[in-house]
This record gives sequence, C-alpha cells and structure tokens, in this order.
Amino acid sequence: MLHPRSFVSYLISLLSIIIFLFGCNPKNLDEITTFRMALSSEPPTLDWNLATDNVSFDVITNIMEGLTEFDEDLNPQPAIARSWDFSEDGKKIIFHLRDDVLWSDGRPLKAEDFEYSWKRLLNPATGAEYAYFLYDILNAYEYNTGRIKDPDKVGVRAIDDHTLEVRLKKPVVYFPSLTTFMVTFPMRRDIVERYGNRWTDPEHIVTLGPFRVKEWFHEYKLILERNERYYGKRPYLDMVVMYIVGERNTALSLYETGDIDFVELPTLAIPRYRSHPEYTNYPILRGYYYGFNVKKPPFDDVRVRRAFAMAIDREELRGVLQGSGIPTSSWIPQGMKGYNPGIGLPFDPERARRLLAEAGYPDAKGFPDIELVFNTDMLNKLVAENVQAQLEKNLGIRVSLDNQEWKVYLSKLSEDPPAFYRLGWGADFPDPDNFMNLFTSYSGNNHTNWANPIYDRLVSEASIERDEKKRMALYDRLQRILVEEDVPIIPLFSTRGNVLIKPYVKGLELNSMEILYLKKIRIEGRKG
Amino acid sequence: MIGFLLRRIIWGIPVLFVVATITFVMLRLVPGGPFDREKKLPPEIKANVEAKYHLNEPLIKQYLLYMGGLLKGDLGPSYKYIGRDVKDIIRDTFPVSIQLGLLAALFSVAVGIPLGILSAIKKDSIIDRGSMLISITGISLPNFVLGAILIVIFSHILKLFPPALWEDARHMVLPAITLGAGPAAYIARLMRTSVLDTLHKDFVRTAKAKGLPEHAVIIKHVVRNSLTPVVTIMGPLTAAFVTGSFIVEFIFSIPGMGRFFITAVTNRDYPLIMGVTLLYTFLIVMTNIIVDILYAVLDPRVRVK
Repeated sequence: MLHPRSFVSYLISLLSIIIFLFGCNPKNLDEITTFRMALSSEPPTLDWNLATDNVSFDVITNIMEGLTEFDEDLNPQPAIARSWDFSEDGKKIIFHLRDDVLWSDGRPLKAEDFEYSWKRLLNPATGAEYAYFLYDILNAYEYNTGRIKDPDKVGVRAIDDHTLEVRLKKPVVYFPSLTTFMVTFPMRRDIVERYGNRWTDPEHIVTLGPFRVKEWFHEYKLILERNERYYGKRPYLDMVVMYIVGERNTALSLYETGDIDFVELPTLAIPRYRSHPEYTNYPILRGYYYGFNVKKPPFDDVRVRRAFAMAIDREELRGVLQGSGIPTSSWIPQGMKGYNPGIGLPFDPERARRLLAEAGYPDAKGFPDIELVFNTDMLNKLVAENVQAQLEKNLGIRVSLDNQEWKVYLSKLSEDPPAFYRLGWGADFPDPDNFMNLFTSYSGNNHTNWANPIYDRLVSEASIERDEKKRMALYDRLQRILVEEDVPIIPLFSTRGNVLIKPYVKGLELNSMEILYLKKIRIEGRKG
Repeated sequence: MIGFLLRRIIWGIPVLFVVATITFVMLRLVPGGPFDREKKLPPEIKANVEAKYHLNEPLIKQYLLYMGGLLKGDLGPSYKYIGRDVKDIIRDTFPVSIQLGLLAALFSVAVGIPLGILSAIKKDSIIDRGSMLISITGISLPNFVLGAILIVIFSHILKLFPPALWEDARHMVLPAITLGAGPAAYIARLMRTSVLDTLHKDFVRTAKAKGLPEHAVIIKHVVRNSLTPVVTIMGPLTAAFVTGSFIVEFIFSIPGMGRFFITAVTNRDYPLIMGVTLLYTFLIVMTNIIVDILYAVLDPRVRVK
C-alpha cells in the first residue's frame, strides 16, 4: 500500500473489479417489437383534462382517443365519432358515436363519458388550464367562471349511449378540430371518483386508445403496451418504452449506441447530421416573432415599426438557425391552412431609412436608446445578436440586449410589456384562427397593446365563415393588417423539427402538430 | 454522550424552521409564478387554478397553512406534477440519489485517501507531482466536461459502459466516477497536507524512535491522526452527494432528486422547492452530528470537551 507500484496495482484492481462486475452484457435481442424513444421530461400528468404540455400530450394521444383525430393533412377525421351533423344555423352539432368502443377494463364507452369529461374540464374546482378550449360551447364560459353554478346548463348532453349533442354560442366551423385535442377526450366518472388524485396511476387508469400504461417509473421511464381491447386497427408494436431524457445530447448518445430508435436533434448537432441517411426535417406549427409595445415611444409611430421590419434581412438568420427554423415574413406558419409566404414587408434598408427619417429620425439622429428583451436561451441570444447587428448596420440604431429568466420574463410581459421583445406561439389546433386570434385586442396573449377594431371584427368573421375560399381571403387580409400595415409584430421564422429515425422503423409519420401516432409504427428487420 | 446528541438534534429544529421561513419568503419575492406560461392563462382560469392551491389567500395565511402541514409531516402537492405530493416525489427519487451518492462517495474516498497519503510520503517525487497534477485537473474540470469525456471514451469508443440510463450496475459506473472525481481530488489534496503536517509531529518521531517499521508508523499513527480534516468535509460532502447532482443526473438521465434543485425553481413549484431545501437542510444537520461523533472516535481529546 505504501509503494507507488502497489498503489498503481491497487487502482488497476479497483478498476478491473468495476469492469468485471459491471461491464457490458450483450444486449437483449428479443425486444423486436418494442419501440424505444425519449421524452424531454417527466410527463407532469396523465390526467387529460389537466395536462397542458407537449410531453403529457405525447403519452396521452397514444393511450386515448377523442371524437375526432387528424389525418396527415391535419383535417379532422372520425375516430370515436362515426360522423357528425351541424344544424342549419351551425350552432348545434350532433356527434354519432361508434358502438364498439371498449375501455381497457372492458366497459363499453358511452356518450356520458364525454359529457362527464367536458363538464369536469369546465368545473372551476378542477382548475383546468385548458378549460377555455370549450368556451365556444353554450354557457361553458359562464360555468367555468362561476357565473352560473348549474353544470346542466352547459351545452353538452348525452342524448343516449351513442349520441352526443353540443350546442354552441356561435357557429364555430373548426369545432371538430378541437375535439382532436386531449382535454376533450372522454373520461370515466367512476374511476376518477374512486381514486381521486391517484386515478392516473398505472394500476388505476382506464383508457381506450391503442396503447395502455403498463409501468410508470417516475422521472425515468414509461412503458406502454398494446391495448388488446382497442376498437381500431391492432397496433403493430407490442410495447413502447419512453425514457425520460432531459438532455438532448444524451438522447443523441443513446440513439448512437442503439438504445433508442428515434431522436430529436439538438440544434448544434444538426449540421453534423444533415447528410445522414437517417435524418429528416419537417415544419412545425410554431412561429417566432419580435413584438413592439405600441404604447411606448418610439414604437408608438407605425413608421418606426415598419422601418424595423424592413431593416431585418431574415435570410441572414439561416446561419443561426441551422435548419431548426425557416425565415418568414408572414405570420401563419408553413404547414397550416392560410399560409401565404407572399405576405410581409420585404427587406429594404433604403426604404427603412426613409421611413425612419419621416418619423423624425434622419440617420437615426435623436433615436432613443432601446432595449431588446428576451428570455434566457441560447437560440434567443444568437437571433437577438444577429438582429442587433443588422439594425446597427442598416439603420444605424444601437439596440442593447437584455435577457431574463423565463418566469421573470413572463411576469414582466403581462405586467409591463417591454417596448421591444421576443416571443413565440405554437398551435393549439391547426387552424389559422389560433394564430390570428392571438393579436385581437381582447386576447390575453397580445402583449403589444395594439388594438384595431377592424382586425378584431375580421377575426371573428373569419372564424365562422364556412366558405373556405372566402375564409382564406379573410386571413390574407388579416395578415396584411398585422405584418404590413400596423406592424405590431415582426415575424422572424417558423420552427422546423430535425430528427433521426432508425432505418428499421417504418410508418413513423411526422406532422406539423408534432403528434406522434405510435399505432402506425412498425419495426422491420431490426438486428441486435 | 446521549445528552450531547439529544441537544444537537433539538438544536436542528429551529434551524429547519428558520430555513423554511426564509425559503418561503424568498420564493414569493421572486417575480413570476407557477402558472405563468408562454400561453398566458385567461384571468378567470388563473383564478380557478390559484384557488385550487390556496395561492389566492393572503401570504401570511399561506405561510401558516404550509407550516401547519409541515408539522404534520405534509409537504403539500407539487404544482407541476399534478396529483403527486412532494413526499411522493422525494420518496421516488431520493433512493436513487442515495445510491449514486454513496457510490460516488465510496469512489472519492477509495481514490482520494490513498492518493493523498502516497503523495505526502513521496513528497516532491514524480508520483507526488503527477498525482497532484491529476487532482488539480480533477478539481478544475467541471463534471459535465468530465462526464462527456467519459461517455466518449467508455461508451462510444470502447463500448464498455452505457452512455446513460439507470437499468443495472453497469449504468452506475460512469456517473459515479463523474460525480466522485472532483471530491476525490479534493480529498487527495486535503489528505496530503494533513499527512505532511502529522509527519512532523512529536509522536511520530517517538514511534519511529521506538523502532516501529515505517508502514506501521504510517498506518497506525500518521493516517489515523490525519483523517480529521477529511472527516470534517465528508459531512457536508455526503449530504451533497446523496441529494444528487443536477448536472450528473441530467447528462446521464438518472431519475434522482438532484434535478429538482434547479427545475423546481425554474417551474416555481413552491412546495417542491421547499421540500428539497428542507430535506437538504435536514441532511446537513444530521451529517454534521455524525461527523461530531466521528471526531470523538478519532480523537479522544474531543470526548473530554
């Protein structure tokens, strides 16, 4: 022990014991119909009335189904509902349910399971964040906000076991899109009431989707198995293992070592894999923009806002984005109805300088000091630095950058929005209304203080317009008001997903709502 | 001795109380709340959610509610993980962190102590210089860098150990080394200084003069009397080890509780932050008591005091 040589041999024997005891065993090869993937965090909940985040969503959409589901083009298709009829005035919908749907414990699904779920979602005591999703239903808002106490006044009712009647406040054309979303999935009153908070534990939860929860090792992994009672086509996979991997580089390592079959690439790794045969990329319905507080000078002058929009060459952002987004000057993102890349102010530094001069700042003289505020994040910082450099170069304006912790930032946005700030928006449902509604004067997510009554009126007209062509023309008009005329925001880019998929994984479809339908996935020809 | 222990344990109670109070107040001072989202909640909905968790009550009432629960051993529900109590979360994740932490502690002691002794005995030799260089590297290398290096070498090149996950013993090796390397280096330096110091003590000269063989002197007299500083830092170090490391758990995807020291704060999950902070405080208090006992075992003079 005292001699150096004996210390070295001590270390070597320590290491060899470790390797002997723990060294790699050959991998288990008979897991051929298991699909393994990573979730970016622990699902905060599997209670679909209460879930709000993407991770819970990924799990829930594979263990549950609703009245409708999306096809590849994101049009709502029948799922539990065989069909539906709108009334003449468009304010009543009757959903006709399939009669062969069984819950995982064998009980048949009834229309009252929808009624219960929707009323639970709207019950103020549930405290569901997505309750507003059903505010289009008659008296839903009033019940959720305590203005009426009687849930029976809410416009949803099971007429019999297989017929669900929904009465709306106004004729909402996209309502069947809403029922694809998890918060509207049916729920079992008996189970929820029997187990309370614990009803989502694997030993209690009752579901009806293609898979069921087999095991949930918190913070580590979730194991799903095929639900043999599923009413639809039998899923190909026996089992799905979802590891909870917070660090994207770790997930990439696990993909490289063959421990998972599918991975989302970290932005910095994209260039390295761009020509890899297992690489794909696809649009996501998520927009990224810079907003102005139009009540704060100098941005109370629309000419200044337009000058900013025209002084930023979004193409320059490509180098920063590395394929994680595509530059855009319009607001409705690629992949959504109403997308029109022709809309938006073009990059034109000459005109931008003229506009600035007209606003009283020739050559940016006398232009006040401004700050660009964003939440702390690598990509936000890179984008902000790029824009900062462009504004200096093209307008001669010096912008300082101020990054803040996420929640601090959010509270600042709602209390006193900065003059110039960054934010994004991801689609709740793939309809342009979800993007355009955001900037109405009554939207809680409009931090620009911009209010235009014409815009407000057109948004609500478009949401009930049943003629598709007229509807899209309305959205073009709305986009022009938003990003060409009044310019309370400058859209910068929309997000793209970048993934690697093992060649033996077939049928994995990527869509812009980021819904992963595991029931379509097959494993073919995987070698250990 | 028992009276001494009881006194120390009773003294821990006001410490916990003060920490709980300060944490509670500081959390409420930080801007941003648990239900602030990119998609801002309609005010009516936010009111419903806040009412569900009593966040609409006056602060003093919230405080009394929390402390009342705490007295009954109730740490409250998590705001982020719906339907799970803070107690459940700690019960699920703490054992994992303990397991990893103990392995890392074992590694750091098993490497650090012999390395320190050896350097001291062979002071200024190549071995001393070399091992101190390694330990300086070990201290200054952040563990996310070390972790990444180990993953590249042992998972991607040699394919000996998996790069992440927590299935069986082979999954524990890289994270335990990553977590234990820094402290191992620190212990080695501490041990070296301490041994050098002891070597010049009178009783060592006496022992040598008695004609005891070199290794007997070292093991029986020098090492035992040099352990005090190491034992001192092992207290807080063990507390830090077993409550997990955010970084190591994160890069190796280990389901421990270390992550909550960061994520609970970014989520403003007040009860969870309180829970992990109090547990950490409790462990610090307890390990310090254990360290005091160990002092007494190592050094009879302490017992007299």
